[in-house]
Amino acid sequence: MKNRNVVSLLMLVFGILCVLTLAHAQNAPEASEKGKEVYENSCAHCHGTEGRGDGSAAENLLPKPRDFTRGLYKIRSTESGQLPTDQDLFDIITEGMPGSSMPGWETSLSADDRWEVVAYIKTFYDGFKESETSPRVISLEDKIPYSEESVEIGKGLYVDLGCVECHGNVGRGDGTSAPTLTDEWGFQTWPANLTQGWNYRGGADTEDIFKRFIGGLAGSPMPAFEGDSFLHFGLTAEESTRLSELENKDEMTAAEEEASEQFYEKMDAAVDVALNRAEGMELSAAEQQTYNNAMKVVYEKSWHLANYVKSLSPEKRPESAIGNNVLRSQYVQGALPAMDDAAWETLQSGYFPLVGQIVIEPRQFNPTIDSVNVKSFYNDKETAFLFTWDDRTNTVGDETDEATGKTLEDALAIQFPVKVPQGPTAPKPYFLWGGRLPVYLWHWKASAPEQVTELTAKGINNAEVQEAQGELHVQSAYTNGQYKLWVKRSLKTDDKKDLQLEPGVFVPIAFSAWDGANGDIDTKRVMTSWYTFVLEPVPSSRRFVYPPLIAILSLGLLFGLRAVVQRRNSEEVKNM
Amino acid sequence: MKTYLLASLTVFLACCYVGGAFAADSGSGEMEMLVFPKAYKAKAVNNGGTISGVVTFEGDVPEMKVLEITKDQAICGATDKYDESLVVGEGNALKNTIVYLIDISAGKDFDKSTKLEIDQKDCKFSPHVQIVPLGVRVTMLNNDRVNHNVHIFSSINTPVNKQQTKNRKKMPLKAVKKAEGPVSVKCDIHGWMSAWIAYVPHPYFAVTNEKGEFTLEDVPAGDYKLGYWHEACGTNNKAPVAVTVAAGGTVTQDFTLKLK
Ligand code: HEC
Ligand code: HEC
Repeated sequence: MKNRNVVSLLMLVFGILCVLTLAHAQNAPEASEKGKEVYENSCAHCHGTEGRGDGSAAENLLPKPRDFTRGLYKIRSTESGQLPTDQDLFDIITEGMPGSSMPGWETSLSADDRWEVVAYIKTFYDGFKESETSPRVISLEDKIPYSEESVEIGKGLYVDLGCVECHGNVGRGDGTSAPTLTDEWGFQTWPANLTQGWNYRGGADTEDIFKRFIGGLAGSPMPAFEGDSFLHFGLTAEESTRLSELENKDEMTAAEEEASEQFYEKMDAAVDVALNRAEGMELSAAEQQTYNNAMKVVYEKSWHLANYVKSLSPEKRPESAIGNNVLRSQYVQGALPAMDDAAWETLQSGYFPLVGQIVIEPRQFNPTIDSVNVKSFYNDKETAFLFTWDDRTNTVGDETDEATGKTLEDALAIQFPVKVPQGPTAPKPYFLWGGRLPVYLWHWKASAPEQVTELTAKGINNAEVQEAQGELHVQSAYTNGQYKLWVKRSLKTDDKKDLQLEPGVFVPIAFSAWDGANGDIDTKRVMTSWYTFVLEPVPSSRRFVYPPLIAILSLGLLFGLRAVVQRRNSEEVKNM
Repeated sequence: MKTYLLASLTVFLACCYVGGAFAADSGSGEMEMLVFPKAYKAKAVNNGGTISGVVTFEGDVPEMKVLEITKDQAICGATDKYDESLVVGEGNALKNTIVYLIDISAGKDFDKSTKLEIDQKDCKFSPHVQIVPLGVRVTMLNNDRVNHNVHIFSSINTPVNKQQTKNRKKMPLKAVKKAEGPVSVKCDIHGWMSAWIAYVPHPYFAVTNEKGEFTLEDVPAGDYKLGYWHEACGTNNKAPVAVTVAAGGTVTQDFTLKLK
């Protein structure tokens, strides 16, 4: 019943949206103001009619739609403190901002319309009118190509410059400052997970990364790393090394004192020139030279750093675990590898992207966990799974949710049907923790890290701890912003409420995850719809396998959700 | 493909499921700001007068909140740190109140010989409230051997957010051109660090000390409006105090402030 309500609610909202859009078009007084019209039709419900970021859809979104009245733009090709170029604005509107609700408009607005809307959003901030000169663009000349040496130098800079404070030791956005960051408007903000470049707002090319930390992300807590944020700004590499040596000495000779004094003067002069330039003063030819020399060193370091950051993430978002990438448990003879066994390295992971649960209240509109990665082995008796997922904070149940008074903690649930559907078209339980057809769950919580509880559920708010808890072997760890969970179970159990496993049979699998620090609790969580996994048959065994068919069936929450809801509804109708 | 469908569905539903309007901030911010004259002309002041006084706090003095030090314990956590939004001393003396002339259009020039510095020692800004003349660079000090980021939340001038690494002992910031403030200064790396900067166009600004005292000197004889700003007690923008300064004279004007 509930689902039918959801569908009708959706239709109602669709309807209202359509009516609103029509009404708008009709009322628009100045039809010639093309940019305004495009804005009001496509952008205002998020960014607000006055550009204050307070459109009707803004409430539940985080990051918030940008308030255009402050002139603060994250994704710029320009130096810190500078406005974006028109091209920057055009590009971000075209591409959208991954990891946020800002859509790309490449296919839904013509290039002309996008240019018009660029001109229009600029009118919300007077600074665009007032600035006489065009903004200063960060130079991308003399790029240092990617190489292992460059990455190694960059790695050192990542620590020395303090990226690590927010982005963490290996870049998962779990730095010690991460939990307390807020943006310009006071909303909580998480540092980017640098191992997931596909969630960057402004692209993951080396050039993009380079521009982001040099120019900073205006409006966010991420600072700019400008010239004199770098060590010994104004000195050449050799001079800098020499000065470091001198600074490390317990005692300096008179000559050394003088040498270091000269270095300091040179640095002060460079800083002075850089400040003059930033304050808008014309530089003399000699000053310009001083500035260029100093910046050459800084830019060189910046390319190394950009190469390092680039090295942290795969080139593209991994393919989801469907079709050819479906999760296959590999057969091994003898004991199954424990959590930290190197044998796991030999396996390809199945990648399961997570999305916010937005069907049932309370919902999660602003997920912080990207995905779960899964690997599995089995032998004649048992199967072992290794689940890994990134979570910036290790919340173990020492915080409480203000709304419900319940304990917030990180958790993962792995969901299977109690009965494996017989054939690809046989109905699966409802993906939100089952319904008429029950699901079997493994529920792990960070506060009891060595334990997995078996549940049976007939709905997202209708889960029961199984009376007879089977024998599950569990190991887990949290390091550098990543959870690892290892679960081992026998293929068959005596409990009718448990899933029974058999090689060659495709088994539906789904996940829910909770990030306590993001307020995830109960139905407010991230999750997947049904995927499948299979105990890859040993080559000799000749079982009937119906491979990608099931996988194709589970394609897309959009279709999946609709299909499942419809099927469920019709089932219910039949059952009435 | 699936991923994108999911993502776009999420976005779409996110747009749909919205209840209630977004409560936009009504521009009450203005009342929290200093008021500056439209123009100011520096001139020699002979036989100016003095305005001085004491600012005291009225009401139950809340206990100063100890700040939670969440990182770099060895350095930042060596001493207890307190929330300095309300520092009340002996006799209810109120520290960190800005007292200033609202409507002066001509008077003395800035004394540009004093270096303006804000220290970040032990992961705490000091002073907590700093007056910065237009056109003057303020230098951020970092002797902590930890990384700080200097984040100045200007809205009239360009905001600043710049990394000052542990190796950078003194970092001068570019001067600004427009009167503004007080604006909040933060370090995002150490989220508890908080201070205020007022960028001002004339030198008739004072910040009260531990005893709540302030003094404005060399004020040309005339009638003025005297304003104040305090982080927790607000401003008297709606009803500034009128004072008359005689040549060479002294005016005493005390203030009693309550929590806003
Ligand atoms: C579904 C809501 C939504 C819609 C519709 C939307 N935006 Fe956005 N937009 C956002 C959000 C959220 C952000 C902030 C993302 C962030 O800060 O990471 C944003 C940010 C932006 C930015 C800032 C880019 C930067 O570099 O910081 C621009 C420019 C922008 N949007 C333009 C537009 C235009 C033009 C339209 C209409 C054609 C539009 N947006 C429609 C949600 C939306
Ligand atoms: C004070 C904390 C902080 C520090 C220090 C910091 N960052 Fe960030 N960084 C952030 C936050 C927060 C975001 C996410 C900003 C947003 O989208 O709102 C971010 C985002 C990013 C992004 C993603 C940009 C995009 O397009 O979405 C990159 C790349 C990045 N940082 C690199 C760096 C590098 C390199 C350094 C060091 C030179 C660094 N950061 C230092 C907080 C920080």
